[in-house]
Amino acid sequence: MKSSILRYLAMGAGLHLAMTSAPATAGEFDGYTLRVKLIGGAQYEPLYSRIAEWEAMTGAEVDVLSRKNHFELDREIKQDIAAGTLDWCVGSNHTSFAPQYGSIYIDLNGVISEDVLAEFQELALKNSTINGRLLQLPRHSDISNLYYIKSLYEDEDKKAAFKAEYGYDLVPPETWDQVKDQAIFFANAPTFYGTQFVGKDEAITGRFYELLVANGGALFDDDWNPIFNSEAGVEAVNFFKDLYDAKAVPAGALNYLWDDTGLGFASGTVAMDLDWAGWASFFNDPENSKVAGDVGLIRAPKGSAGIRTGWSGSHTFSITETCDNKDAAASFITFLTNHDSQMIEATAGLLPTRTKVWDDAKAKFAAGGNDFLVQVFETYAVSMSEDAFTPPLITPWIEVSNEIWPQLQAAILGEKTPQEALDEAAEAARIVMEDAGYL
Amino acid sequence: MDGSLRKKIGSVATWGLTFILMVVICVPGLWVVLTAFRPNGEVLAKPPVWIPEDPNLNNFAKIFGFGADQVAIPVPAYFTNSLIIALTSTAIALLIGMSGGYAFARYRFSFKNGLFLGLMLSRTVPGIALSLPIFMIWSRIGLIDTKLGLIIVYVALNVPFTIWLIDGFFRQIPKEMSEAAQVDGCTRWQAFWKIEFPLAKSGIASAGIFAFLTSWNEYALASNLTRSTDSKTLPVGLMDFTAQFTIDWAGMSAMAVIIIIPALILTFLVQKHLIAGLTFGGVKG
Amino acid sequence: MATNRPPFWQREQYTPYLLLLPALLTLAFVVVLPLLFSLYTSFTGYRLIRPESLWQWVGLRNYKRIFADGDFWIAFGRTIVFLTIALNLEFLLGLGIALLINRITWGQRTLRTIMMFPMMFSPILVGYQFKFVFNDNIGILNNALQSLGLSDGAIPWLVDKYLANFSIIFAEVWMSTSVFAILLLAGLFAMPRDPLEAAKVDGCNPWQVFRHITLPFLMPFVFIAMTIRSLDVARAYDIVDVMTGGGPAGRTELLWTMIARTGYDNARMGQANAMAYVSILLSIAFTYYFFTKLLAARKYMGGAD
Repeated sequence: MKSSILRYLAMGAGLHLAMTSAPATAGEFDGYTLRVKLIGGAQYEPLYSRIAEWEAMTGAEVDVLSRKNHFELDREIKQDIAAGTLDWCVGSNHTSFAPQYGSIYIDLNGVISEDVLAEFQELALKNSTINGRLLQLPRHSDISNLYYIKSLYEDEDKKAAFKAEYGYDLVPPETWDQVKDQAIFFANAPTFYGTQFVGKDEAITGRFYELLVANGGALFDDDWNPIFNSEAGVEAVNFFKDLYDAKAVPAGALNYLWDDTGLGFASGTVAMDLDWAGWASFFNDPENSKVAGDVGLIRAPKGSAGIRTGWSGSHTFSITETCDNKDAAASFITFLTNHDSQMIEATAGLLPTRTKVWDDAKAKFAAGGNDFLVQVFETYAVSMSEDAFTPPLITPWIEVSNEIWPQLQAAILGEKTPQEALDEAAEAARIVMEDAGYL
Repeated sequence: MDGSLRKKIGSVATWGLTFILMVVICVPGLWVVLTAFRPNGEVLAKPPVWIPEDPNLNNFAKIFGFGADQVAIPVPAYFTNSLIIALTSTAIALLIGMSGGYAFARYRFSFKNGLFLGLMLSRTVPGIALSLPIFMIWSRIGLIDTKLGLIIVYVALNVPFTIWLIDGFFRQIPKEMSEAAQVDGCTRWQAFWKIEFPLAKSGIASAGIFAFLTSWNEYALASNLTRSTDSKTLPVGLMDFTAQFTIDWAGMSAMAVIIIIPALILTFLVQKHLIAGLTFGGVKG
Repeated sequence: MATNRPPFWQREQYTPYLLLLPALLTLAFVVVLPLLFSLYTSFTGYRLIRPESLWQWVGLRNYKRIFADGDFWIAFGRTIVFLTIALNLEFLLGLGIALLINRITWGQRTLRTIMMFPMMFSPILVGYQFKFVFNDNIGILNNALQSLGLSDGAIPWLVDKYLANFSIIFAEVWMSTSVFAILLLAGLFAMPRDPLEAAKVDGCNPWQVFRHITLPFLMPFVFIAMTIRSLDVARAYDIVDVMTGGGPAGRTELLWTMIARTGYDNARMGQANAMAYVSILLSIAFTYYFFTKLLAARKYMGGAD
């Protein structure tokens, strides 16, 4: 993944190094040291090479206090809140995590100029807003679509066999029921699997949640009562359970997280994979992926209510209330999300939050002859604008998730019926919501 | 004839069993070492590639940022931190342990057994239960993300066991020897350094290696109390290889090799003392 | 009169306390003080993300909640079983390795170093290593079994109810058997030769020699090893957290993984600390048990107090 990202990065940086459009003036923050906590990891780090540019431009110095993955960063920020050591200005944030942090971050409305905000996608800003306060400036968004191995769908024998067995043509699936049929049809454990899913933590809660919505259900009613133990919920659980029972997914799936599913698809042993945009160039890179050149991509399929799955979130930046120079902090995060910055991330396959960057990135891929990434961006553009929805933006989201996923696992493994498992999870979620003051 | 045959079978069986056990001990670790020298693609290959087809040092080069297309991981900083923290905390724990162990071995005093047991039990508190309270206190007094903060914690972690081993070892040394020296005009202090300390060296060395390995490898507390390259240690640095979506197995393995080698060298050098030290330390009263 | 008396720090009866002072101070600062803090928070509704909740006194509510929670007791029971199985397995394997190495003279130094190999591994590294070994799809164990024709399926090592627990115990045993082996080997080295020779002359078979002479002599070493291991067995948290995180469906949930998730992910530090206190009592019970055994064995060997 790294090498390909960085190759694109080198390309992008070369093209755009000279032109910067951030509203920062030279020497504006001379001698000031801005303390920041950023998300680390191969996908995110290329952007940070631009920090030096901002330093040169404004005269400020950036002190990166930590650079960790989001789960570690989350723990660290909670510790900071507990110990009152919020002696830093800018922190990486994420849609799913943001509601927990309460009032430690400022409302960016008024701090970031309206002209700048107007260049962002409306939905991305809306998802960054909690209780009317714009707590985060979105850096890039994410949503999942369905990758598949093209050649499997061009194989005449398979087409005929599938038609004979299921009574309809073997084409990339339009609904999740079709995904299930095809996954079971393609699977030949342990050498080949139909599809796969992440099996623990917030990951599987999220996958369950989007399927619940696609089946016409909801996690909570309007008064925050948990109602996911509905028919739609049971149907969603059964989707995972049926695949698991039919051995259409790897037996270890319940211990899988994002790296396992992504690497699994790249290993060429999985027919279909619902995954994030960031994987696209990895899947199509012959150095890393056995399926390079044979990767198809379609919009995420529909659930039984005719709605497409579209669990979405954004990586963002926030500014602390305790920050001693909010102007410098605002200038910094504006710079890291400006057109050129987002072009760097977009060239690596991350989904921009600025409207114009979508088109510019596509144009750039087209000019470079990279039809695959053009298609990727076209597909993801549609799903971002039409299908995307976030998890409920409530303080105890992670806590509710921690009540749901062990029960999902229990149901998938057959220790409980889906209804029992969801009832128990809903009851536990109710207590969490009561404790948090929502009920 | 019969006897020698049985002996032969016996020794073949001994060797055979030993061999199997050694294989079980080594294979998972060796897999990590092999992985350090191969590309990620090979790690995830199916069917598996057992022996690296083209073993190379690319993973190490990447870690150190040599000509690679990747942000270097600050391994030299981590390594220095780890070394300073582990060595300092071991040295301090040994000093405190010698002083405490000597008290238990050579003096009678009230609450002796209670104090001893109390010291031991202080080590049973799981790190995960300590991590937040320590964090809160450390942040009040500015010890977060400092080497000193971690050194203090590791000293406390290692003192109980160190006292125990050293106590046992001092008891091995006949009291009469130091008494004789004191009769000859030495102070108790001089008698300690001239007579008892040299004799207890092996025991102290073995306590030292245990303390060093504990500090060198500790993760749970270090991950909470460190923040930046000012104090992050090697095990915490391992997490640099896990991102939201990926684990860089090959890079992580290369880092693991970097962590293991110093510990291995040290253990190999000290292990003669280790066995000798443990033989008497702690057991006989 | 008083002028002739040395100042109190030089008086003999205070010397041991003075010598112990650095140790006691360190432990008071790093262990006792934090424990008092967490004891207090276990009676509050303390949530990490709301610092003001530190003052919200809830009495025994946290304890009542966890005692009424079936999942907690299951994790509690599993932790005891985990500890018992792991410690005993480590003991038996460690004894076996020590006996074998003790018999081998050629290359013993190398063998001893190899034996200690796992001690060089950080628990977190052990966790990642075995997460990879036991991976059902690309793990080396399943790959090896499939290559050797011993299995044609992908065995879900980290998912199956029994195999998942087996896997975490295997990792823990792999990491910690060395400690037993090295201590027991030291015990074997310390063994006097005479009783062994005498027993052989009297016509005892090897098993009888082992049962009646070697083993009793080794027992104090065994209890030392057990005590040491029960002291820091909570290090297994790192391993389990990485390998399974307590899942799937709580099948490998131990007290420590539960505490970490409650305290940090759910930010309910008060409740987590109540659990932590129960787990501390458990560790103390284990340690105390082995410690009394050790004292008894020491007496048996004719040692001092």
